[in-house]
Amino acid sequence: MIYRENGQFKTSYGADQQIFPIAQDRYLVLAIIAFAFIGVPMLADEYFFRAILIPFLILSLAALGVNLLVGYCGQITLGAGAFMAIGAYAAYNFLIRVPELPLLAVLILGGLTSAAMGILFGIPSLRVRGLYLAVATLAAQFFWDWAFLRIGWFTNYSSSGSVSVSNLTVFGWDISSPVNKYLFCLAILVVFALIAKNLTRASLGRQWMAIRDMDVAAEVIGIRPMWAKLSAFAVSSFFVGVAGALWGFVHLGSWEPAAFSVDRSFQLLFMVIIGGMGSIVGSFFGAAFIIILPIFLNQFLPALGDLFGIAISTAAVSHAEFIIFGSLIVFFLIVEPHGLARLWATSKEKLRLWPFPH
Amino acid sequence: MAFFLETLIGGLMAGMLYSLVALGFVLIYKASGVFNFAQGAMVLFAALAMARFSGWANAALGGDSLILANIIAFIAAGGVMFIVAWIIERLALRNLVNQEGATLLMATLGIAYVLEGIGQTLFGSEIYNIDVGMPKDPVIMLESVFEGGILINKEDFYAALIAAALVIALSIFFQKTSTGRALRAVADDHQAALSIGIPLNRIWVIVWCVAGVVALVAGIIWGSKLGVQFSLATVALRALPVVILGGLTSVPGAIIGGLIIGIGEKLSEVFLGPYVGGGIEIWFAYMLALVFLLFRPQGLFGEKIIDRV
Amino acid sequence: MSKQIGDVILDLQNISLRFGGVKALTDISFNVYEHEIRAIIGPNGAGKSSMLNVINGVYHPQDGKIMYRGEERQQMDPHLAARQGISRTFQNIALFKGMSVLDNIMTGRTLKMKSNLLLQALWWGPARNEELAHRQKVEEIIDFLEIQHIRKTPVGRLPYGLQKRVDLGRALAMEPKVLLLDEPMAGMNVEEKQDMCRFILDVNDQFGTTIVLIEHDMGVVMDISDRVVVLDYGKKIGDGEPDEVRSSPEVIKAYLGAGH
Repeated sequence: MIYRENGQFKTSYGADQQIFPIAQDRYLVLAIIAFAFIGVPMLADEYFFRAILIPFLILSLAALGVNLLVGYCGQITLGAGAFMAIGAYAAYNFLIRVPELPLLAVLILGGLTSAAMGILFGIPSLRVRGLYLAVATLAAQFFWDWAFLRIGWFTNYSSSGSVSVSNLTVFGWDISSPVNKYLFCLAILVVFALIAKNLTRASLGRQWMAIRDMDVAAEVIGIRPMWAKLSAFAVSSFFVGVAGALWGFVHLGSWEPAAFSVDRSFQLLFMVIIGGMGSIVGSFFGAAFIIILPIFLNQFLPALGDLFGIAISTAAVSHAEFIIFGSLIVFFLIVEPHGLARLWATSKEKLRLWPFPH
Repeated sequence: MAFFLETLIGGLMAGMLYSLVALGFVLIYKASGVFNFAQGAMVLFAALAMARFSGWANAALGGDSLILANIIAFIAAGGVMFIVAWIIERLALRNLVNQEGATLLMATLGIAYVLEGIGQTLFGSEIYNIDVGMPKDPVIMLESVFEGGILINKEDFYAALIAAALVIALSIFFQKTSTGRALRAVADDHQAALSIGIPLNRIWVIVWCVAGVVALVAGIIWGSKLGVQFSLATVALRALPVVILGGLTSVPGAIIGGLIIGIGEKLSEVFLGPYVGGGIEIWFAYMLALVFLLFRPQGLFGEKIIDRV
Repeated sequence: MSKQIGDVILDLQNISLRFGGVKALTDISFNVYEHEIRAIIGPNGAGKSSMLNVINGVYHPQDGKIMYRGEERQQMDPHLAARQGISRTFQNIALFKGMSVLDNIMTGRTLKMKSNLLLQALWWGPARNEELAHRQKVEEIIDFLEIQHIRKTPVGRLPYGLQKRVDLGRALAMEPKVLLLDEPMAGMNVEEKQDMCRFILDVNDQFGTTIVLIEHDMGVVMDISDRVVVLDYGKKIGDGEPDEVRSSPEVIKAYLGAGH
């Protein structure tokens, strides 16, 4: 009864083209954002920020980027981890080599470097698609894994192979405490989510989706596949690169190439598929699911064992995590191949009609 | 020259092993259009089963007959792989028919996680050895041609022989038996195959079983070379460029692709590696496949896809 | 009503197209006048769709040349054809399934939209205004095709006849000079055919768009087209006004088989 759009008439195309045409959606999202900025810092403790909220925000950003490419443009990638790495290491190099740059500029330059590499490694997409393309993106993954491990210049010849940053400030605002880190990531995520939404509802987003759905027809109505695909690679890599820089700078503080391994790439793709391909909100759902599930299993399984008086070893827990995680993914794909976002959309649809079934 | 040849032969041997893993990919992709990322996990699972069964059987027989123990273990592990194949088809893939490629790919990644978890829960997660009695001593060949001859690992040689035999057996199975014919029919067109009465589900179970056996053989060979451990699951990632190079749907492609990648990796590591800091094997194979893709998108022996409007 | 048929806008000269050893088109020449409705007919496999694909650059003929608005076209690709004002619909509806009707038709405006990536990312002034201006245009097309009620529906959910209409809408959104229609009425019932004929004639009449269409329904072809070209096994066997073609012995033979 509450979720109704009765009486909300659109009198201009502008009003009809806004992000949330239904007023209730608008208020809900504003409320969530306000709560995230004001309520959460008052409620959450340090563990919660470090283990859940900050990783969630940063990986949501990365998943958003991957979703633009995979979900909207239909170009599958298994190399997202590499582009996070490029973002992180490029930002690191800008930071130490041009010390006068402010942090935001460093992060964005990291993203831009990643975007440039995204275009380069996106070139095979002009020739191949589907699984072949997935393998081409794996090439990027393994190449950069190797490059950051073996080429000393990237890590400023650090003897241990790991690099670190500290004393981060944005316009004089110190962001070393977990709360401030959280707020900083949240602000960036909100801006990027808005950008993603704008792009996908504008001409560029339509070109991406056209290429995804029927590339020959798209070409016939005047879309250049090269421009559409490479722009998707660039924008996506930009998002992923900025997320990578945040992951290194803000979340980890010091890192080595293993932080951005092929497992990270798979994880991001899981987020997108479980969350919902071609859905902005789905990227958030997917990130939340993938981050919370292992933490939950880690806590829950030993507790369950205690209940029955069985001590479960850490190895057994980690194996069980593998099994449950894998089964859930398969289960999800069978039950709802369009992801959590589709479940969300269906329930909203139902809610609009509630309490009348039809 | 002798050193070059040695490297080349080493590459060929390694390539043969890649071919074995790649073969598993091709079989399943051909018959069901699923790109099976779980092939690596299947290799690990099979190798774990083999290693443990062989150990147990050997203990039960009092250590008298290694060969008998291995035969029992092989049969048992093969049975386990059949069950695994059946469960995968039954619980996962049957319910995912007609989904998009990306969804299927993700599903097999999920299956890979499950297999890795179950395998280690059942069989333990230490490093095990598989001893199938392959001689490990190196031999020196062609002493008359080159000074000092060429050093070849006997084990590699036998492994390559086994792989070649398996490939020939599979080719015969595909070309000559009625099941093989049905498999090819399914690969060409699911619907048409179904309409002439080929039971799709059974065919898929068979394919997964065959892939399971291929994984077992690959697992035994890799396992006896390197020991059975978790990292075995990553051989799938090493074999991927092979499939791409050879073409996703071609059995000979998997073989030739494997050899090319094997040689390419070894030669590049030995002759190029020192200049760039080494460790280039893994990405070199991918770059090779990538460069290749740009010129021949469907791979060496893959079928060309023609778009119709 | 008498419409103004113009000069030759599209002139195909000795077109031959082969796929490997298969000859799809052999030495075909015909022309299209501005503002006319030109039909291509022929039995299945006669090379009609290949002909359209040659015109809008999806296929590249091995021999022959194509004059478009008095200039010889070289290095053709579909994108370039679109830029020069050639648009088309598809035999097996090639709509963007994941998108709404509105978005599908909006993609037809792509070539006319100029704002850059940065402006679009921010939904800033010019980008927003451009988007809304084109929305206005697209709404006109939606009105014209009488599909207002489904504008927000994903096209995958629509019945066949409406999908064909959206396909036409997307092609119209490009404001083409030449519109290629590949079996616009295939699989439709009589009522839907009548609607579609009406739209085609209206487009031709109101916007002066030149139309090249492939159609199997002879009644429709003879009624609405100005001139007809007949293909059989990749060769041209007839060309002229509907009545002329209808009485040509070769055409009758191709359609009814030898012995008549």
